[in-house]
Amino acid sequence: MSDMINEYLNSLDKALSGADPATRRDARTDAEEHLRSALDAASMESPGSPEDELVRGIIEEYGTPEEVADAYRRIEKYSTPVLARGKTNGDRTAAARFFGVLVDPRAYAAMFYMFFSLVTGIVYFTWAVTGLSLSAGFAVLIFGIPFFALFLLSVQGLMLVEGRIIEALSGIRMPRRPVASEKGLGIWRKFVSLFKDKRTWTSILYMVLQLFFGIVYFTVTVTLLALSVSFILRPFLEYTFGLPMMHIDGIDYWTPGWFMPFMVLLGIALLIATLHAARGMMRLHGRWAKYMLVR
Amino acid sequence: MIDTESANRKFEKELKSGTAALLLLGVLSEAGRPMYGYQITKEIEAAAARQGSMHIFRQGALYPVLRSMEKSGILRSEIEPSASGPPRRYYSMTEEGRGILGDWQVTWQSTRDLVDGILKGNDDV
Repeated sequence: MSDMINEYLNSLDKALSGADPATRRDARTDAEEHLRSALDAASMESPGSPEDELVRGIIEEYGTPEEVADAYRRIEKYSTPVLARGKTNGDRTAAARFFGVLVDPRAYAAMFYMFFSLVTGIVYFTWAVTGLSLSAGFAVLIFGIPFFALFLLSVQGLMLVEGRIIEALSGIRMPRRPVASEKGLGIWRKFVSLFKDKRTWTSILYMVLQLFFGIVYFTVTVTLLALSVSFILRPFLEYTFGLPMMHIDGIDYWTPGWFMPFMVLLGIALLIATLHAARGMMRLHGRWAKYMLVR
Repeated sequence: MIDTESANRKFEKELKSGTAALLLLGVLSEAGRPMYGYQITKEIEAAAARQGSMHIFRQGALYPVLRSMEKSGILRSEIEPSASGPPRRYYSMTEEGRGILGDWQVTWQSTRDLVDGILKGNDDV
């Protein structure tokens, strides 16, 4: 049934080859929603007319795959996510590039994600491991398969949210909604298609590994941040509160007076470097997430 | 000899891409309830039929405009499952969208008046 719709969706996808995968998926889901809604309405209005004829008319009004692809490409050009705007170009001086991170909202967003990922990492890991082991345990019981199906659906939903978070914070485009399964499939077939989808499994792997990444991101960021703040505050800590730099085996180590200004400058430099590190890690993580969750 | 057909196509295309967003906002504001893409295109088609004008908008080209307006915060959307077929994305206007529609209407009216005025001047010649 409605093979023509599937054919259309495939040629639309082909017409968009080379475009961002998330855009391609948007285009596909939009077209699918429209064509199927229109077909429903049309067959209600004129029952008995051959479906192929109805579909042909609907597709003609929707536009050829090339026309529609063209429209998506045009929009994609100037609709990058808010934080992804104002990409820096490479012709700035090294100093401008180094300090520029201070006014880059993406750097602070990345910093936030670095903290936040420990929490989500724990939640995802727990969810994935619990879901998988309960599913394995329930496999012999009558509700084993429904439970497993619910778990897979929850993975899909959770990873859609993760994708939205990453897109908002890093500007890397991620899918906007779950892939609609084909119309008319029974519950069982839907489950099988979810089960066979490679993305379901890479999503689960992503959830498990996110604990590891979360710990690394959190630790690195907190350590760097604590170090830079302690460097910057050194004069106050030593002169005002009488706290030494180090205290080893009963001996206090103080910062030499002449080095104090450099200590503060070092702290500021380290703080800026931390922002750079957070932004860089976010960029890599975005690519990783895209690889695991979209492809 | 210029290629009239391609000149017409180019003009239509540019006009369409400029007015699609305003048209979509107008439909959503008129309806006052969340609508999904197919409903919106039906609405535009019906309006075109009432006016006796031909609908120059390719329905498929309206969807990316909806998405981009959602991205810029003019619209918001919600996905709801439908009894038949894939889930549907319902679009509605945000507060900011209402303000923007007002601004755009002013721009549109003055543009239309200008174009009409000049075209009318041509008719008199």
